[in-house]
Amino acid sequence: MPEAQSRISPQFGSSFSRPVWIEPLLGFALGTSGGLLQGMVLRTSLLSGGLLGAAFGLAFGLFFARRATSPGAGLIWGLGSSFLLWILTAGGFFHLAGVARYSAMMFQDAQGHFSELVAYVLCLGMPVGVGLGIRGGLRSSRPGKKFAWGRAIVAGGFAGTLGGLIFGNWVSSGNYYPLLVGFGELSSRRVTISLHFAVALLIGVTFGLLFQRDVRGYGSCMGWGLGFGIFWWFFGPLTLLRLAAGLPLDWSAEQGTAVFGSLVGHILYGLILGVAYATIDKIWVRLFIQSDPLNREIESPGLHVLRSLGWGAVAGLIGGLASLPVMIATGVLPKVAGVDTSFVGFRGLVIHLSVSTLIGMTYGMLFRNETTSPGSSIAWGWVFGLIWWYLGPMTLMPLLLTGVCDWSADAASALLPSLLGHLIYGAVTALIFFLFDHRYTRSLLLDPRTSPRELRRLRPVGTPAPALWLFALSLGVLLPILLG
Amino acid sequence: MNPIFRRCSIGILSGAAASTVLTVTPHYALWNLILSVGIGAAYSAGLRPTRRAYVDNLLGGASLGVPLWGLVSVIVIPLLSGQMPAWSAEQMRQNFPALVSWVIFGAFLGITNQALQDGAEYFFGPEPAPKVPEVSVTKRIVILGGGFAGMRTAECLEEGLRGDRSTSLTLVNETNALLFTPMLAEVAGSSLEPSHISTPLRSTLRRTEFIRGVVEAVDLEKRLVILRHDAGANGASGRREVPYDQLVFALGSISNYLGMMNIEKFAFNFKSLLDAIRIRNHVIEMFERADLESDPALRSSLLTFVIAGGGFAGVELAGALNDFAHGILADYPRIHPDEVNIVLVHSRDRVLPELSESLARYAQEKMQLRGVSFRLNTRIVDAHSGVVLLGEGEIRTETIVWTAGTTPSPLLKSLPLEKDKRGALVVDDTLAVPRRAGLWALGDCAAVTDAATGHPCPPTAQFALREAEVLASNILSQLEGRPTRRFHFDSLGALCVVGHQTACAELSIPFNRSRSLRFSGLFAWLLWRGIYLAKLPGWERKIRVLMDWTIELFFPRDIVQTIDVK
Repeated sequence: MPEAQSRISPQFGSSFSRPVWIEPLLGFALGTSGGLLQGMVLRTSLLSGGLLGAAFGLAFGLFFARRATSPGAGLIWGLGSSFLLWILTAGGFFHLAGVARYSAMMFQDAQGHFSELVAYVLCLGMPVGVGLGIRGGLRSSRPGKKFAWGRAIVAGGFAGTLGGLIFGNWVSSGNYYPLLVGFGELSSRRVTISLHFAVALLIGVTFGLLFQRDVRGYGSCMGWGLGFGIFWWFFGPLTLLRLAAGLPLDWSAEQGTAVFGSLVGHILYGLILGVAYATIDKIWVRLFIQSDPLNREIESPGLHVLRSLGWGAVAGLIGGLASLPVMIATGVLPKVAGVDTSFVGFRGLVIHLSVSTLIGMTYGMLFRNETTSPGSSIAWGWVFGLIWWYLGPMTLMPLLLTGVCDWSADAASALLPSLLGHLIYGAVTALIFFLFDHRYTRSLLLDPRTSPRELRRLRPVGTPAPALWLFALSLGVLLPILLG
Repeated sequence: MNPIFRRCSIGILSGAAASTVLTVTPHYALWNLILSVGIGAAYSAGLRPTRRAYVDNLLGGASLGVPLWGLVSVIVIPLLSGQMPAWSAEQMRQNFPALVSWVIFGAFLGITNQALQDGAEYFFGPEPAPKVPEVSVTKRIVILGGGFAGMRTAECLEEGLRGDRSTSLTLVNETNALLFTPMLAEVAGSSLEPSHISTPLRSTLRRTEFIRGVVEAVDLEKRLVILRHDAGANGASGRREVPYDQLVFALGSISNYLGMMNIEKFAFNFKSLLDAIRIRNHVIEMFERADLESDPALRSSLLTFVIAGGGFAGVELAGALNDFAHGILADYPRIHPDEVNIVLVHSRDRVLPELSESLARYAQEKMQLRGVSFRLNTRIVDAHSGVVLLGEGEIRTETIVWTAGTTPSPLLKSLPLEKDKRGALVVDDTLAVPRRAGLWALGDCAAVTDAATGHPCPPTAQFALREAEVLASNILSQLEGRPTRRFHFDSLGALCVVGHQTACAELSIPFNRSRSLRFSGLFAWLLWRGIYLAKLPGWERKIRVLMDWTIELFFPRDIVQTIDVK
């Protein structure tokens, strides 16, 4: 669901002046290499792997290259398109279209092709996307968007370290380090912690280097963190760490199930990283790049914060009401009330609506700059709902009720019903918030001083947000189903 | 073609085309088609069309797949079939094929939608841009005066007009801010910073054109307002004519010196922010001089401060100055507290005629205990340098502040409109000037009569705000051909601060306005501060004033002279 203010985004003006064959050729080359690598790892036909990779790379180079304006953007477009490729091929759509009926074995087939999912993401989506993104970054120059290496490394590094510290303090009590899963047992606690911080720092710095230009606010940064966290789960515990530990690669669904807890850990780490990066990056910009007095908005940030909190509270309350039937029917509400019976009662209802209201306020704070159209609002609302499913029922609720959280695939399977409730909550909250914001913006636009600010809020066409929605939302929902 | 209709049509077509992806489940074919069409219409209507955004729509549409699968295949379709939603983990796994279908449906929907959008643009031209069309201004509303009445009128008109660009709003004021006069005494008493009780008119009003200028004349025949304003690099005056269709007089009032030219020459005014700053700095100046003066008579004259008028303004100012003067004595060790003399001169037998007698007596007693002197049943008849002449006697003083009377803006004298004996414009009960279409008046410059009681409405901020709401409503009603409404308002009561942490309050009882609740003391003072803080426009101003009051709790009053009063 693309957003647009202008019909033709200025960054694509340069596309008419460069040779059109370079990107498809580069994509073809990278895709072929990735396909061959994939064939080697999965021990399948090199020819079919190469051909598939070549076709993917060529198509990516032809259609997506203009969107891959930076390595980070290219990576996200690559991840989204590689997932779509998996749905079409190994996921079973072509087979489904061929036989024109559902097959009871489709799910088992898809589980059996989980390794292809990992392969497509790491061997096709990642290299093709990043490669073309590097090419795109060198080629395009966006006015006012010069890449700052120092800022990326420092902000990303600080965010990664901070995320590692918060995460490390939390998980170390259970002696479980999700970021290091796959590396095997380490000799000492000190080595474990050092490696944990090293990985956290690496993830943070790469986040800053890749996504400096794409992230706009706290909410979108969290979304990018979610997607990046899922990607790092594929890249880290399933791949890199195993290789570093001298273990053979195992991209099977069984291995995925075994390290499923690490997926939840990577997702939560990604969320912490996203918020931390957004905060530190904003501070960096404020301190070293931009000072506001000459360009002061007619409204101070404080008023907008108060307004967002108020709208978010009302939107969250309505979202809570909309998701209430699902929460009751799936048995989440009694757990919220602290009782393990099917009796919901007034207490559970009050707690649910209170929590919904508070969470709605966080939506208002985090995503207030992403509500520029109903479509994008709902998409970010779904992402928000997914985030809160991993944060809430998967993590915080068991911690609060029992003192331990269970991140196993089985636990996730048991909580799948409430996932739909969270998605409904997120979408309704986002839509209601959009309606409030839209109504207010329309009155503001009568003042010509406000129009430039509102234009700046619009996410231009070409950002990888649609790809992020596809990758993060789909895999965030699909992986617990596939691996449970 | 209406843009939404066009988008929905495209969405319906693309949804129908994309529904072929879902036909792998033929027994749901009809439901799938209906849902697809609906989803397609919503998808297309929910986003702004962009040329050639195929890959964005491909992946963006595909991202719809999982939530749609959850909503439709897992919840809605089983419910419609009379079964429980299939949301257990096992059921979701069995429904996996539908998930695949929905993802591809979404991708196909996105691509088809984009293709149809581009095709529609090619054949029918681009979608009309959703910008507000250029509308010629056909109605001009001009408000003269940016006080409580004028600004509130502008706010209400902005709210009522919203997106109606055919009506222009203009507000003219001599200063660029609304002065919150209830707190003016606190500025004079150095409790509050001057700018903290003023709200900028430009920042507060969104679509009202603001002109800082002085109204020189109003040409009622040509329907023009003639302004004088500072213009040019050398500050030379400029002249400007502002046409109007509806004109609102909210000019307020000025001090009335009752023809006493010497008093006007020697007395401090107490209407504007500059007046309050001047008074404050003058008090400090008197203390500085008295500190060096050895002649007792001169010292007494320097440290005697006369306030003329025992209404709200005079009493609050007397209390504030008394607190200030006694509060800064610690910085002037050579000045004895007994040397400081605050004198309030009032022509009647009690101060605060707006309050009940008991509260007025309480206020007087409290202030006397704190050192304020009262000369009741006394009029000031003249003033010279260093002396104020009373009906009987005189007071040696270098300071006289005039709060003894106000008169409506002198501009009204030049207008051939009916006025009352005070000089205020006569208006009917809808606040319109009789027999003059398009002219309205409210606030201190208007003689407003309560439609229900027939009594004249007092010229207070409380009434001005309510008059503004009714007036704005009536202007809009007249423009739209609807009946206007009459003005009626029951006063909520009155609050008056008489000194540090002491106030008098008389609050009307709801549903029994003839009776009121009277109390005084610390609670009344806290109530005064709370209510006026809530009424102060703008959150930023509220926080600044709150911070000033908090600082005042811990630190002494500031005695820095900010302007040269010599």
